[in-house]
Amino acid sequence: MLEIKNLTKSYGDVVALDRFSLDLKKGEVLGLLGPNGAGKTTLISILAGTLRDFTGTVTFEGRNLFSDRTLKNRIGIVPQDMAFYDDLNAMDNLLFWGGLYDVPRADLKRRAVEILDLVELAGRAKEPVKNFSGGMKRRLNTAIGLLHKPDLLLLDEPTVGIDVQAKVSILDIIRNVGAAGTAVIFTTHQLAEVETTCSRIAIMDHGRILAQGTFDELIRIVGERDIVEIAGDFAAGAFSEALRDMAGADVELLSVADNLASLAVSDSGRIPRVMDRLFQNKLAVTDLKIQTPGLETVFLKLTGRSLRD
Amino acid sequence: MRRLLLILGNDVRRHLKAPWAIVIFIAIPLLMTGLIGVIFAPRSHSGQLPPIAVLLVDQDKGLASKLILGSFDVDQMKKMFQVTVTDEVDGARRMKRGRASAMVVIPKGFTLDLLEARPTTLRVVKNPSEQFLPDVVEEFMATMGVMLSGAIQAFSEEVKGLRLMLDGPVERIPWETLGPEFGKAQKKIAAAAKYLNPLLIGLKEEETKAAGAKAQSSMTDIFSIILPGMAVMFLLFIVQTLMRDLLSDREDGKLRRMLTTPVRPLEVIGARILGGWVMGVAILLIMVAFGTLVFHVNWGPFGFFLLLVVVAAFWTAAFFALFHALVRNRNQAGALGAPIILAFSLFGGSMMNPEVMPKAFRAVGIVTPNRWFIDGAALVREGRFPLASLIVLLVSGLVLLALAVPTLRRRALV
Ligand SMILES: Nc1ncnc2c1ncn2[C@@H]1O[C@H](COP(=O)(O)OP(=O)(O)O)[C@@H](O)[C@H]1O
Ligand SMILES: [Mg+2]
Repeated sequence: MLEIKNLTKSYGDVVALDRFSLDLKKGEVLGLLGPNGAGKTTLISILAGTLRDFTGTVTFEGRNLFSDRTLKNRIGIVPQDMAFYDDLNAMDNLLFWGGLYDVPRADLKRRAVEILDLVELAGRAKEPVKNFSGGMKRRLNTAIGLLHKPDLLLLDEPTVGIDVQAKVSILDIIRNVGAAGTAVIFTTHQLAEVETTCSRIAIMDHGRILAQGTFDELIRIVGERDIVEIAGDFAAGAFSEALRDMAGADVELLSVADNLASLAVSDSGRIPRVMDRLFQNKLAVTDLKIQTPGLETVFLKLTGRSLRD
Repeated sequence: MRRLLLILGNDVRRHLKAPWAIVIFIAIPLLMTGLIGVIFAPRSHSGQLPPIAVLLVDQDKGLASKLILGSFDVDQMKKMFQVTVTDEVDGARRMKRGRASAMVVIPKGFTLDLLEARPTTLRVVKNPSEQFLPDVVEEFMATMGVMLSGAIQAFSEEVKGLRLMLDGPVERIPWETLGPEFGKAQKKIAAAAKYLNPLLIGLKEEETKAAGAKAQSSMTDIFSIILPGMAVMFLLFIVQTLMRDLLSDREDGKLRRMLTTPVRPLEVIGARILGGWVMGVAILLIMVAFGTLVFHVNWGPFGFFLLLVVVAAFWTAAFFALFHALVRNRNQAGALGAPIILAFSLFGGSMMNPEVMPKAFRAVGIVTPNRWFIDGAALVREGRFPLASLIVLLVSGLVLLALAVPTLRRRALV
């Protein structure tokens, strides 16, 4: 339903999107995972039609997405900022923002009531939004993007800055919307969210997709290997040198920096031998972490850095 | 068009929900006119009241209490009140001896309470042996309280910034280091102060002249001369406040969100400008209605005057569209808006009687909307059609609009 081809966008010297391509099918929930600065907001803004001067094409059901203003009626946007009127109540906000789409007047009110129920704000519909908690505001922000029943929903970091409970409820909403047949792209820099919410995950950095697939498919990229993170008092060069002849299929150096390195080992029996070798080379180890494979490992492998902020 | 009206309606509704700044801005010129009435009215009656003796106890010693003290220092106030500043013990003693009609106590922390919008009261101790005069004092202080807290509301953006910097007692604030926040507020306060004083002085001269030359010059005539100038000045203030949406929606992402819907940039811009225009007309008409009902102001043929109102509000909306298209952010708008309006009003004749205004002011004044509105209103009052004013305001308004729209459009999408 959505086809993005070679989307490129630069801000001066900064290339925010670099020949970015992506396909999305009806009812798919795609989690777009990337660290800060990866280009997630830039992508969403282009799709939302608020960012210009880019190259590449975006087609929606075979039509150029930007050729026809009415196509915007089929897309719902939940921006990263809370963008609504604080001085109005939740219901009035929904009626206003929903009213900007071509929704029949009679349906609008009914939809607003439904959607408030869906995001669990029905009891607070008449209260000025400025009294809402952060989590409630996020839910309203999401509700506004859903009111006109879009076929494609784009959410930019919808769970930033809210407590766990609110997060869970937003992710529930996303799952339900997807289950109802709406295609969803939501961006995040938090791993746990995409694992539980998405039918497909794309990992992006520096403006392009590094890998995509289901959770299981992505895990296969790193194989069934354990990840060993070693911290200590050593130089990167000395560390690599010490393990040089061991490195191979069984022990792979994923990233090595001064005082911190990570490796993938296919057999945990190898770990004592690695430690032994470091010891022989007089490299002090202060901390050792062993992880079974997860998205974090995939990300580490693909980018050579950790996703954590 | 449907979307344009939706945005316009939504804006109007939002502003009606939080009408305080607008109500205050409408009320100030009317209150001022009323105050002038109170001050001048006794003189036209035979038995003029002697000054009322008031004791003032300032426990606050802050910005707000200084404002109150200062307001009693104005010439016209001195005719009404004879004020002695003292402490509470001495004040109580004098009250007991019947030396004063009332004692006003400005409580400790009054300024801070006002700034933080905490409920606070000016205590008025009335002399029980007098029936009438203490009530006048009480009434006056109540009005003053309303105006002060109203001013705080109207200046709430600056106050917020100012408040952040106020940690200790007011007298220990290093005023010069308060920076731009205070600078902004100060400019608005200066605008208000300058507007109050010259107006009263100008009026006094008017009064003496009237007494000498045309003895029959009545209060109503004075109102008719002053109210248009005040109305256009406060129209500028109000429309600036109302059209801030152009800027704030751009800053906090609401404009971007609007543009993700099928709405066109031109519809959003159109809604805001049309909104400023329509609300401007409504505000002027409210002032006109009050002026007519309360002060019996004679505006001249209403059709002519309405036309002037519509064109002046259009000019104002177009001007602030361009203003908000050009300024970088809300802070800059706050810092520049008041001085511009002040300058318009000073040179354009809103602040003093045109007849006592220096020649140079009048020359500079031709680039201000105030001047054309005031001159137009004067013509209409004589029953004539204000052709020059209408043409000047309309044509320059259209030019402003032609500059504003493309600029706003360019800034809507990046
Ligand atoms: N308006 C802008 N001007 C200049 N650079 C920008 C602008 N917006 C984003 N960037 C840069 O583009 C890159 C991608 O940003 P963004 O899309 O916001 O990433 P994300 O949402 O994934 O954190 C970053 O390097 C960022 O600094
Ligand atoms: Mg972002």
